[in-house]
Amino acid sequence: MRLKNKSELLLETLKYVLAFTAVAVIGAALISFQGAAPGEAYAAILQGICGSASAIGNTIRWITPCIFTGIAATVAFRSGVMNLGIEGQLYVGAFAATLVGLYAELPGWLLPLACLLAGSLSGLLFALIPAVIKLVFRIDEMITTLMLNYVALWVTEYFTKIVKGASANNNSKAMATPVIQESAELTTLVPRTNASTGIFIALLLVAVVFVIYRFTKVGYEMKQVGENLRFARVGGVRTTRMFISIFLLSGFIAGLCGAVEILGVYGKFTPSFANNIGWDGIMISMIAKNSPVGVALASMLWGALKAGALQMERVTSTNRLTVELIQAMFVLFVTIDYRRLWGKWKDRQPRKRTAGKGKEGGIC
Amino acid sequence: MDTILELRGVTKRFGSLVANREIDLTVKKGTIHAVVGENGAGKSTLMNIISGVHRLDDGEIFLEGKPVNFRSPTEASKAGIGMVHQEFMLFPELTILDNIMMGYERTGKLGLLDRRQVRAEVEELLRTYNFNIPLDELAREQPVAMLQQIEIVKILYRGANILIFDEPTSVLTPAGVEGLFRAMRFLVSKGKTILFITHKLKEVLQVADEITVLKEGAVVGHTTPAETSEEQMASMMVGRNVMLKANKLKKDRGRPILQVTDLQARNDNGIVKLKHVNLTVHAGEIVGIAGVAGSGQVELVQCLYGLRAPESGAILLDGDDITRASCREHRCKGIGLVPQDRMADGCNRAAPIWENCIMGYHIAHGFRSKWLIDRGEAETFAQRVVDEFSVKASSLNEPISSLSGGNVQKAIVGREFLQENKLLIMEDPTRGIDIGAIEFIWKKIEELAASGVAVLLVSQELNEVMEVSDRIEVIYDGQLYDGGLHGELTEAQIGLLMTGGVEDAAEK
Repeated sequence: MRLKNKSELLLETLKYVLAFTAVAVIGAALISFQGAAPGEAYAAILQGICGSASAIGNTIRWITPCIFTGIAATVAFRSGVMNLGIEGQLYVGAFAATLVGLYAELPGWLLPLACLLAGSLSGLLFALIPAVIKLVFRIDEMITTLMLNYVALWVTEYFTKIVKGASANNNSKAMATPVIQESAELTTLVPRTNASTGIFIALLLVAVVFVIYRFTKVGYEMKQVGENLRFARVGGVRTTRMFISIFLLSGFIAGLCGAVEILGVYGKFTPSFANNIGWDGIMISMIAKNSPVGVALASMLWGALKAGALQMERVTSTNRLTVELIQAMFVLFVTIDYRRLWGKWKDRQPRKRTAGKGKEGGIC
Repeated sequence: MDTILELRGVTKRFGSLVANREIDLTVKKGTIHAVVGENGAGKSTLMNIISGVHRLDDGEIFLEGKPVNFRSPTEASKAGIGMVHQEFMLFPELTILDNIMMGYERTGKLGLLDRRQVRAEVEELLRTYNFNIPLDELAREQPVAMLQQIEIVKILYRGANILIFDEPTSVLTPAGVEGLFRAMRFLVSKGKTILFITHKLKEVLQVADEITVLKEGAVVGHTTPAETSEEQMASMMVGRNVMLKANKLKKDRGRPILQVTDLQARNDNGIVKLKHVNLTVHAGEIVGIAGVAGSGQVELVQCLYGLRAPESGAILLDGDDITRASCREHRCKGIGLVPQDRMADGCNRAAPIWENCIMGYHIAHGFRSKWLIDRGEAETFAQRVVDEFSVKASSLNEPISSLSGGNVQKAIVGREFLQENKLLIMEDPTRGIDIGAIEFIWKKIEELAASGVAVLLVSQELNEVMEVSDRIEVIYDGQLYDGGLHGELTEAQIGLLMTGGVEDAAEK
């Protein structure tokens, strides 16, 4: 987000405040429709976000994956790579991390490190497939990544069964791998919550990506490729190499996210555990307009709402999906091009103004 | 003669910029009225106001004596005002007839499309106005001159009485221009009125009945071809005397820098576009390539810059084989390119000026650090581009899209000129920019060559090639023909070579 001057900053802030107010009002209507008091529900959400130490821990737990997937999406979209396969790359990464966490015998901090590496590298390799398909067969990555999400989902489920061996029962709801070695797990930050040191990895990632875009040649080229590919190629940027690198980087981050989820939260791989966190990342990067710092901020809001929604469901009769609905609407409100809307509206005005002037003239 | 269109005190602002300032304009029925001015003088804005694209902020427009205020192009079109845009707005995959009726279809019973009715009406138009257009062929198969005729018929079909032509000759060959002017005169003789926007003064003198000159958004003069001359108009437009002649410097021709032998290449559709091309450009020499659009210039430049792999032949840069090198290697070896399409290839309109100014430089020249972009260094270079090429910009952080076309082009040219290249390839470097900027860029090309750089100038503007080049090559149908040294052949002789009249020209 390059903000040129104060008025622009004001306009941007106004936009987010407006969107937030709008969804708060719509949310209130939805909640009262379900027979609960909106005030109570909102209080419960707030309680769930920061009402207690464990609430804060939970909020941190949800912010963490939002940052990862948000950054994965940002890196890709900012350079015009439509990687919709973050969810799939995340599953593959999570599964690989689980395997290493189960079977590798490494001392001390080497084990979690190996798990994280295995996760991110698997995510990277899984992203290589659509990248190669695009370059060799010219098939749009939007389609291939979308389809490969299903491949990742079902293949990891299948392998979960293999890992469990003969004892696997067919009830896929209860199916999961054994729990990974304790020494592989990330340190818990807030006792009895799932907030882990993963948040630090996430924040470090934000910082690294920020620095890349702001200060490095690679970052400069990544931006130009996304904004005008032909310009970048004529300028001497290796666009094909750039395309692959960005794809792999995005997959790497998505895989890392999967690994952190396993090491920091779940401790074992359960098929379909991710619950659309990959898609959340895409929405977050839209809200953040592909800015790394924006992703961190948007993830805070997003993760907080997620944590709050769970609490709301516990204490009121409101379905937690209401919050997801509200989140989706927030994205819609934020992505509206208000400037153009304003311009259109203003375009209609001069006619009235000149008409008004005419009248004044008449009176004089 | 009756006045058909009258503007009084028309003002249009975009933010703090006043694009049109209290413009008075009277257009008489049945005349060709030329509106001339530099790019950025407000011609296009004015025409967009007349044709309903923009709303005016102040002032009044009278159409046949009645005040009008169009809210959209559709309203203007209903009132009989149509515009032939610079970029054609046609659907390539539709037939010409379908293109003409698009948006103004006739329907019969049950609301079904009545193509017969449309065809009858269009054929009537073609007869009346003397056009010869194959209605059932696809638009994409037509040459440019034909596309323009289709656009004209399209707005006639919509019932236009006032036709606005926006820089109509920029895409045409000399013969095409003649044809267009004949058509324009014929339209006027049938009672239509034409508003003709251009910055080519020769053409204005040739075809216009009345001339209005714009400068910085305001009318600075009104005249007729009989009362004025090219020089007089030019000085009105820029407010000083401009000689549209390149000031040739004395140069020493050095060693051969670019050597192309027997180059062959196909375009994306597999059609052979370059046939046995041989070309040498020496250090300190400007070689100009003249030719009608589509003769193979695009493919030649792509091959020379690593954007297209040639089928056979060799390209040497200073003795180095670069036939199959990538764009990046071309840059690193010291080749610069000013691309034809400045918005698509030449700049990133979303990015600030400084980011646009360092593209390529960050690879070929680099900064102190191998990985980092040194903001200070980057801005120093960008500032040099802006200063030495007098780009009118308020800040290096402004997006480049906030500049006018001429200033964008100056920034691109500056970026490529200041990179200490051995060879500079330029495609239409002065396309669609104002006289002041053209003069400036020509001067810079001369200076660059005089400093020992080899320059290859590919331009569809014959005048440009003839004025600027030390040596001229003419491309026709993928082959190069010798166009002589500077001033050796006349415009007519080169024009003949451009259209395939090889033998005739050789005889002379």
